[in-house]
Amino acid sequence: MAGMELLSDQGFRIDGRKPNELRRIRFKKGVFRQADGSAYLEQGNTKVLAAVYGPHEIRGSRSKALHDKLLINCQYSMATFSTQDRKRRPRGDRKAQEMTSHLKQTFDAVVLTELYPKVQLDIFVEVLQSDGGNYCASVNAATLALMDAGIPMKDYVIACSGSHLRDTPIVDMNNLEESSGGAEVVMAVLPRCEQIVFLEMNSRLHEDHLSGVMDHVMVGCKDIFNVLNQQVQDELCQKTQLDKLVTTG
Amino acid sequence: MFEPATEAKLADHCTLCVHRRGILTGQAGQYNHYVWDKSIPNVELSPLCSPNFRPGPPGEQAQVLSQNMDDLLKTSGCINFEDLCICPGKLSWVLHISLVCLDYDGNIMDACVLALVAALKNTCLPAVTVDEETGDIKTDPTTHTPLSVACCPVSTSFIVFDNNILLVDPTNEEEKLATGAVTVVAEGSNLVSIYKPGGTPLRDDQIEDCIDRALERSLEAARLIDDTLCSIDR
Repeated sequence: MAGMELLSDQGFRIDGRKPNELRRIRFKKGVFRQADGSAYLEQGNTKVLAAVYGPHEIRGSRSKALHDKLLINCQYSMATFSTQDRKRRPRGDRKAQEMTSHLKQTFDAVVLTELYPKVQLDIFVEVLQSDGGNYCASVNAATLALMDAGIPMKDYVIACSGSHLRDTPIVDMNNLEESSGGAEVVMAVLPRCEQIVFLEMNSRLHEDHLSGVMDHVMVGCKDIFNVLNQQVQDELCQKTQLDKLVTTG
Repeated sequence: MFEPATEAKLADHCTLCVHRRGILTGQAGQYNHYVWDKSIPNVELSPLCSPNFRPGPPGEQAQVLSQNMDDLLKTSGCINFEDLCICPGKLSWVLHISLVCLDYDGNIMDACVLALVAALKNTCLPAVTVDEETGDIKTDPTTHTPLSVACCPVSTSFIVFDNNILLVDPTNEEEKLATGAVTVVAEGSNLVSIYKPGGTPLRDDQIEDCIDRALERSLEAARLIDDTLCSIDR
């Protein structure tokens, strides 16, 4: 029943997008002076800030230090004004802790941690306005912030969400579509090598539909990558005053 | 969805202030503790804004600032709390004010006050109808009455350096090297508050100098806020 309102007969979604159309993405790197790297990203109405501090000496207990790898410390928090109803606990509630650990797992896999043993890297993500795709926007913003901080990574990490409505896979869901109760597939990928770093699916989805949705989400991630990479390269070219950058595939 | 929000940027220091409105049932028109809770400002200094802040519950600085904002709102008279009353004795609006520091470079008090005042001026309250018999509360999202903000308090902070030099609008580095500090909150030609938390003792004429400069700055800042708010469309 919910599928009928979320996807019209003409194939348009509730906000007028086509099923495989992404929301508008705008971002800016280097928005803060205090942080080593920072980024502000908007995906539709979801607005996220990411700040990276580090690598620096371990704060707190020395016992947490990893003798051969970088320790990544993430904190995900939602501003009290980010959702329709005022959020009572910006951080520390279960959802935020789950997100925090997902972000940590994602970036642990991508950052070249062997290069910085015994030190710590902090990634802080603050959601200013939440309209679906919080994890995706957080990952994308954190990637940009890590790039701004100069932390070596294997590739961009781009995340996108997807679902299956009325036999049509859709990508980049907003809050209404997420809370409608349909299946949600969230993927974080390395777009250039097409490898999946993080994958989560919840609610019920028929196994026949899964690979279709995953393919569409992968395409969505690559589209987001193209948007982000284009602007990043343009800014770099401007700063270094090169006509174009040498790309290695 | 993004309720009245303003971002105040003082050079590298950036604070975001957002209001949320809620409806509170209770006594109105009485100067008791309960009525004073009609506005709840909260300043957040998270590790996002500076490496000086640790994750966890609000530290001393954040709590002191929240209390300062609260006192400022209540004593400066910039909002008339009677305006927030919907049904005398039964229903009133509560303003939840969140001040989030995004990038910390000193002089957070000034940035917070600026953001707070600008956000208050940007606030609109929808019309509320209460059904007398059923007690049903209905808000009409299409009608917006702007909150009347009587005045525009502006804070100016100074630090004392080397026991006799006064520097206005200090950066983080300057604050760390300061031997004393003074904060003056002024509105037009009226003084709202003066705060000198210990530090180097100052003479009368130095404090008067600070007050004069604060009064000047308050006029400029008030004009800046008004110009900015006029230029956005509501």
